[in-house]
Amino acid sequence: MEALKQALGSGRLVALWYDAPHLHYLVEGPEGSPLQEFQVEARGSFPSLAGEFPALDWFERELWEEHSLVPEGHPALKPLRNHCLPYPFERVEGLHEVPVGPVHAGIIEPGHFRFSVLGEKILHLELRLGYQHRGVERLFQGAGLERARLLAERAGGESVAHALAFCQAVEAALGLEVPPRARQLRRVLLELERVFGHLGHLAGLFTDIGYAYAATQVGKVRALLQGQLERLTGHRYGRNALTVGGVSFDLDPKTQLEVRGALSRLGLEAEAQLLSAFKQPMVLDRLRYVGAITPAQARWLGLVGPAARACGLGRDLRQDDGLYQPFTPVLRAGGDVLARAQVYLEEVRQGFRHLERFLTELPPGGGWVDEAGPSQEGELRTAFSRVEAGRGELFYWVRLQGRRVEQVKIVDPSFKNWRALELAVRGMGLPDFPLINKSFDLSYAGCDL
Amino acid sequence: MNPLWQTLRTGLLTRSLQNLFRLPAWAPGWPVLRPEGLSHTVRRELLELCPSVAFAEEGGEFRLDLAHCVLCGRCFQTFPQAVGELRGLEVAVTRREDLVQRVDLATGNFVDPGPPPPTRAELHLPTLAFREVSAGNTGLDDTEVALAGNPFHDMGRFGFTVVASPRHADALLVAGPVSQNMREALLRTYQATPEPKGVVAVGNEAVGGEVFAESPQVAGGVDRVLPVDVYVPGSPARPAAILHGLLLLSGRVQQMLVGGRRVRGKPEQSPKAS
Ligand code: SF4
Repeated sequence: MEALKQALGSGRLVALWYDAPHLHYLVEGPEGSPLQEFQVEARGSFPSLAGEFPALDWFERELWEEHSLVPEGHPALKPLRNHCLPYPFERVEGLHEVPVGPVHAGIIEPGHFRFSVLGEKILHLELRLGYQHRGVERLFQGAGLERARLLAERAGGESVAHALAFCQAVEAALGLEVPPRARQLRRVLLELERVFGHLGHLAGLFTDIGYAYAATQVGKVRALLQGQLERLTGHRYGRNALTVGGVSFDLDPKTQLEVRGALSRLGLEAEAQLLSAFKQPMVLDRLRYVGAITPAQARWLGLVGPAARACGLGRDLRQDDGLYQPFTPVLRAGGDVLARAQVYLEEVRQGFRHLERFLTELPPGGGWVDEAGPSQEGELRTAFSRVEAGRGELFYWVRLQGRRVEQVKIVDPSFKNWRALELAVRGMGLPDFPLINKSFDLSYAGCDL
Repeated sequence: MNPLWQTLRTGLLTRSLQNLFRLPAWAPGWPVLRPEGLSHTVRRELLELCPSVAFAEEGGEFRLDLAHCVLCGRCFQTFPQAVGELRGLEVAVTRREDLVQRVDLATGNFVDPGPPPPTRAELHLPTLAFREVSAGNTGLDDTEVALAGNPFHDMGRFGFTVVASPRHADALLVAGPVSQNMREALLRTYQATPEPKGVVAVGNEAVGGEVFAESPQVAGGVDRVLPVDVYVPGSPARPAAILHGLLLLSGRVQQMLVGGRRVRGKPEQSPKAS
């Protein structure tokens, strides 16, 4: 326990899951130090650490709900996804409450936001999610690998990243070595998905500040980019393209050349449009100082992905990925909407550069390894994997029995980042909320599972 | 970059309907059963092979439910003699049965579900306002609905808009298998919509639950909660298919699929060599 606390104090919680009868805490130390895994035996209850380390709050509430493990001493134990239990909102005496959702005004997933406001000013926000809960993790139990991959693709908003994280975890468990060509093609899809997502966030921000021209132009590039993803995989979001052991598509040299050419043209256009939009004083004025998060808050909540990098916390799992070298994460210091938008912008440019490189030199060979060998037996194997998805670090842990999935734990980056919204809106005006929300662009489905 | 110059250079992006309904050459189409090729062994293999449990054999019938198909293309690539490929995006239907192909194994013929009912005349309006409700979907069906409004698809040219409140809406677009936690919110949104009102189920999950059908946390389809006027299959439903569904609701196009097969327009194409 003491070693765990020490590790959490200096590092960051990656995941917390229950593989009966042990709780597994996976902690990443400061810059570059290896992952540490702590096991704590738990039957019926376990000591809560959420008071000291708020990043554990939702994880502990999840354990309570999913496995009936009581986190003893939890500061505010209430349901996370279970809507059958009463949910006590925190009330602030003397303030007006504005409830918003679950059905929103835009075309967006459902969630409930309870604002406590003084006039227009938001003094407190409490999120209540779980509306998208479909029981994904339970559906994995007993599923074959193919079906499990379908579930992974539908677990959160990023199909490719989820499929990749799932496949990598299974491959690690079964000891499969993915051929180099497939590894690179997987990165191509991952970058396409990231750029597609980021362009969507940026177009959304432009829409929210009333800059329709930029939103349309960015939206156009985004639609054409999606066409290239479809060209490669046959699916508009890259579903069915990844499989355990490799990829299920390949491209001939002609397609490779054409896609690379189309992407480099789109890259230039995206760059020109975005750079000119971010020169407009209106854009800068509207986004700057809105919805700021301090580095201390980011560390405290254990933020990941662009939200953390916009506070200057430099962690990007692509740093450790051999295929991306040399790689420098995009960092910004402000922590506000502008900083997050700039991180998206720079990562879009970076993504196009990686795509260009990946598609210039594809290693020869097959795209798939036949999963024979040790995987056939009925033995138990466990493994985890991490992928830097567009929204941040995505974690999958699997326990396999032969070629069937016995249990999984998914930690979508949004699960760690949602609470940043609660802090970012404090002191802001109510009309700023859509803008701040869009700047984090969190997945409801990935969080609710 | 000079915006005027850029706009001129971009030219017209909006595609004609005909163009939109064409499936790109690299995307797999929908599977269509070929009764003559459905031998006992092939049927066994198909049941095994489909990752999404789209095939079923029951009561002397072999069935293929398009709303459970995730379009992996595996069945018609492996057994071209038993499964053909239907290319096209005009797949919205007014009845759930029209997404299910049923082959009577005794006679080797398709079971004909009869002509589909027309959509309701009171919704055959020149403009329709929609409210989108996401009820347990992955987020991609929402994105596709939003993309139906982009310059390429431009649903605005048909008088379709998405409005912020159900009180201003003529119809609801519902995505997702309807999670238990969204059930009440969906019902209340429906109640808040003024009559006459329509419901469009967008995407496989909304049509029949797809991979989530077995989960106790979801209703397993919008029609378990609300009366549905139009079903749009797809995983997720593509913007063009959604557009077809909206046009069908407003009475401007005809339904192309009956009993899961194309009854109008071009005949089924044979699968392309892969
Ligand atoms: S295309 Fe794939 S998912 Fe669809 S029916 Fe065939 S095998 Fe099943």
